[in-house]
Amino acid sequence: MSKELIRLRDCVMSYGDEVVLDHINLYINDKEFLTLLGPSGCGKTTTLRIIGGFLLPTAGDVLFDGVRINDVPPYQRMVNTVFQRYALFPHLNVFENVAFGLRLPKKDGDGRKVKIPEQEIHNRVMEMLTVVNLKGFEKRPVSALSGGQQQRVAIARALVNRPRVLLLDEPLGALDMRLRKDMQNELKRIQQEMEITFIYVTHDQEEALAMSDTVVVMDGGRIQQIGTPEDIYNEPKNAFVADFIGESNIIDGIMRSDGVVEIFNRRFQCLDKGFGKDEPVDVVIRPEDVDIVDEAAGQLRGTVTSVTFKGVHYDTIVDFYGFKWLIQTTDYCPVDSRIGIKIDPDGIHVMRKSQYSGMFGDYSSYSEEYEELDVAGPEDGEGDAPLEGGYEE
Amino acid sequence: MKRSNRVGSRLFIGLVFLFLYLPIFLLIIFSFNAGDSSAVWKGFSLDWYASLFQNRLIMESLYTTLLVSLLATAISTAAGTFAAIGLYALGKRKRDALLVVNNIPMVNADIVTGVSLCLFFVAFFQGWGAFAQWFNGVQGAIVLPERLTLGFTTMLLAHIAFNIPYVILNVAPKLRQMDKNLVDAAQDLGCTWMQAFWKVILPEIKPGIVSGALIAFTMSIDDFVISYFTAGSSTSTLAMRIYSMTKKRITPEINAVSTLLFLSVLVLLVLNNVREVRQERRAASQEVREPSRLEKLSFRFQQPAFQWARRGVTAVLACAFIVVVILLTGATSSQPVVNVCSLGEYIDEDLITQFEDETGTRVNYQTAESNEAMYSLLKSGGADYDVIVTSDYMIAQLMEEEMLEELDYSRIPSFELIDERFRHLPYDPENRYTVPYTWGTLGIIYNANLVDGEIDSWDVLYDDQYAGNVLLINNSRDALGEALLSLGYSVNTTDEGEIREAFARIADASRRGVFQAKVSDQVFQKMEGGNAAVATYYAGDYLSMVDNQAEGVDLRFVIPKEGGNWFVDAMCVLRDAPHYEEALEWINFIASTDANLANMDEIGYASPNTQALERYPAYYEELYGEELDPDLYEIMAVPPEVLERCEMYNVLPPATRTLYNDLWIQLGT
Repeated sequence: MSKELIRLRDCVMSYGDEVVLDHINLYINDKEFLTLLGPSGCGKTTTLRIIGGFLLPTAGDVLFDGVRINDVPPYQRMVNTVFQRYALFPHLNVFENVAFGLRLPKKDGDGRKVKIPEQEIHNRVMEMLTVVNLKGFEKRPVSALSGGQQQRVAIARALVNRPRVLLLDEPLGALDMRLRKDMQNELKRIQQEMEITFIYVTHDQEEALAMSDTVVVMDGGRIQQIGTPEDIYNEPKNAFVADFIGESNIIDGIMRSDGVVEIFNRRFQCLDKGFGKDEPVDVVIRPEDVDIVDEAAGQLRGTVTSVTFKGVHYDTIVDFYGFKWLIQTTDYCPVDSRIGIKIDPDGIHVMRKSQYSGMFGDYSSYSEEYEELDVAGPEDGEGDAPLEGGYEE
Repeated sequence: MKRSNRVGSRLFIGLVFLFLYLPIFLLIIFSFNAGDSSAVWKGFSLDWYASLFQNRLIMESLYTTLLVSLLATAISTAAGTFAAIGLYALGKRKRDALLVVNNIPMVNADIVTGVSLCLFFVAFFQGWGAFAQWFNGVQGAIVLPERLTLGFTTMLLAHIAFNIPYVILNVAPKLRQMDKNLVDAAQDLGCTWMQAFWKVILPEIKPGIVSGALIAFTMSIDDFVISYFTAGSSTSTLAMRIYSMTKKRITPEINAVSTLLFLSVLVLLVLNNVREVRQERRAASQEVREPSRLEKLSFRFQQPAFQWARRGVTAVLACAFIVVVILLTGATSSQPVVNVCSLGEYIDEDLITQFEDETGTRVNYQTAESNEAMYSLLKSGGADYDVIVTSDYMIAQLMEEEMLEELDYSRIPSFELIDERFRHLPYDPENRYTVPYTWGTLGIIYNANLVDGEIDSWDVLYDDQYAGNVLLINNSRDALGEALLSLGYSVNTTDEGEIREAFARIADASRRGVFQAKVSDQVFQKMEGGNAAVATYYAGDYLSMVDNQAEGVDLRFVIPKEGGNWFVDAMCVLRDAPHYEEALEWINFIASTDANLANMDEIGYASPNTQALERYPAYYEELYGEELDPDLYEIMAVPPEVLERCEMYNVLPPATRTLYNDLWIQLGT
């Protein structure tokens, strides 16, 4: 499981002055389900196309099983791709689409061209169509299939060649929500059945978290964080990752000592260590980690500005000293009511300052009031109040 | 109100279509005319189609047309397809810019394309000549041809050049519609780029390629202007042939060949449309359906064994095609050749075959529609005629410009047979450059049933009595010459006063509405059909008008008492002619008595060959089993005492020529 299969070493991709990939270092293990996650333009598809052989990196190496494959053309790589919008061959029917790769003459060990016998092609195609639940559709023209069915044909067409790695470029992007959920499970099942490596590109964080063994979060041509879905969610490395994965309130804070962080001039206990004394930091507090209590009992006090019913919970926006937090709670608090909140130490995650600091995390637009707060302190007259339930130095 | 509107619009549409298609229907109908007039219906017949297929020049040009169209289509389709793919791979901005560049040649005037290609080729040939000379000078192993000329190859290149934009225009949209990832997908599945092209791109853009090829083929087949400027002397397409044939008269043979051309283009267009409609329908019906029997059959043909066979057959056909092309082009290049350019359709074509059979020399027979057209063709360079047939005054001009080669008369024994009257004429006083081909006179042709009494004076042309019934010849030299004669002046006068007086006479008559029209070729239809009373034209053509005159028309020819114009058309060899030996051989052959008899009978112009002149009445009697009308023969070969009254045109000094032009333009249409 943990054997390394593909490695990108210092890969750079640039078009003129525009750097699309900035020194990407990444390894992918055999039989791993790895997801490249990021907003559009982050370089995830470029990375995938470099692995597929459709793009040559401007600098850096691509290794496959320890061998450099930069110059190996796509048709000689043991990699197959499921393309965005499938790229099925419209002039061929389902069977012939899947059989396409098998019908091409292959070179055997002595460099002779060998054709796969018709019977074997037939068996392998039918077997693959069974895997993707498309038996009985062989003779249909691909244009007569639904989006989900076309998707399955594309997967079968790639997998029938028994690649070591399957690359998937936003394969579910064109499907509706229900179908997407089904296909996520289907893909995971196929990956486990076939025991091959999947490299999956998406901008949908939910999809990434649900399916992957490893998630690679990218932005601006750089890798922001690599980790398991749990790591990425619970321990985001910077404001970008915290914001991109799930919902987060990201607040400026100061690390007063190991395990103590100061927000809004109040000190909170946390589990983070290893920061410099009085180092400015970004503090992430997930909306579900905040408990609403009576105003008097709260560590912080604020005013509810909006409430949205989401089914399982309410999305409640609360104004603390001009900074708007998102809190997900099952308790209903009417708009304009005053509330207090409590946060457990394991609900607080401290990150070092990065280029993304101050860009995310407020649930109103970045406001002037907050600027003033920085300078003048809390305005609501409680600014000098002692820490309540906070950690005393 | 609404109702009448609808009737009105239907009527309008009807008129539009009538206007568009009636001429073509007329042409088709008259191609089945038993007579050889385009005005008078003489019953149904397929004779013209039969004679069409026996007409060597037409069949040859048909072959040239098909060959050049097929080759140009094949090459431009391949080139255009790959060019479109290349364009498609570029960025959007570059691609759009290049597509605009691609579209310009299509909307560009053909004449501009033609002339510029001609200039380009000629310039290239000059550069090549210099290079080849230098190259042959510095080494002896490889000898490059130093002299290149316009011909089949240049025409083919021109056709390829003007076809490529059409192919690109048809293929580009198909590429745009194609999913960009298809090629990546094919390569991902193991295709090299070429395999991806054959297996994925080609099937996707095939409809575009096929319609591009069809359009290219149609454009090629009916192109005239560009071919005309790039074909040079040794090649001519069907359209060029038809055009040169119309210069004399529109024969039903032309109607027949035009009908065939029209129908073949129509068939191609219908095929293309049917194909497109079928595709749309197929695209529209996306639901699953049972394969039709045809598809089942074609599926069987897609089985490996059949595929192998099919590939084999395709390969064999392709090889055969290439071999045929090589053989045909090769066969013509190894044979001795002589390139002849003549005025109009002006020969008994059997003579060409006869000469080829006797000598083994191939004759490329071209025609120019007038002396002036031939002159500009010669001046443009690139044409490599050996022998030209042109009129006296043009010969004088060519001699002045040192464009003619002296003839070796020891190699032309037939010259001895040329009558004394036709030697040492003013245009070639020492007779070093020319051998006369035909001679004739310009006179008045009139319909005896439309005029009072006999006509014997040029004055009739300006007579109010025949207002609206006189046809003015559309040629400044002849028209002004006639007016000069009517005033008793010489046709060669350089006196501006006399010329202006003559012009005033024409302009005055024109104002008074004497002239029905200014005509050249239309004179045949108008006179044969009895639509005009008086015209002036050449004796030889009068004879063919008489043969075709409608009932109730009685055409007469007269050389008026004031005198007339006579002319000689003669054969000359151009300076530096590449086939001098063959040229002399051809001239000698054409100057022989037998050839002169055949030509006289075919074209109606008199021969300069003494024996031929004497023997023609007997020849005629033997051929047609009836006696030759001596009056008609006198019109064809004017007796010496009448010829005395006639004057030959001299080359006019430049100032006078300019005056002629200026005055002629003043007259307007």
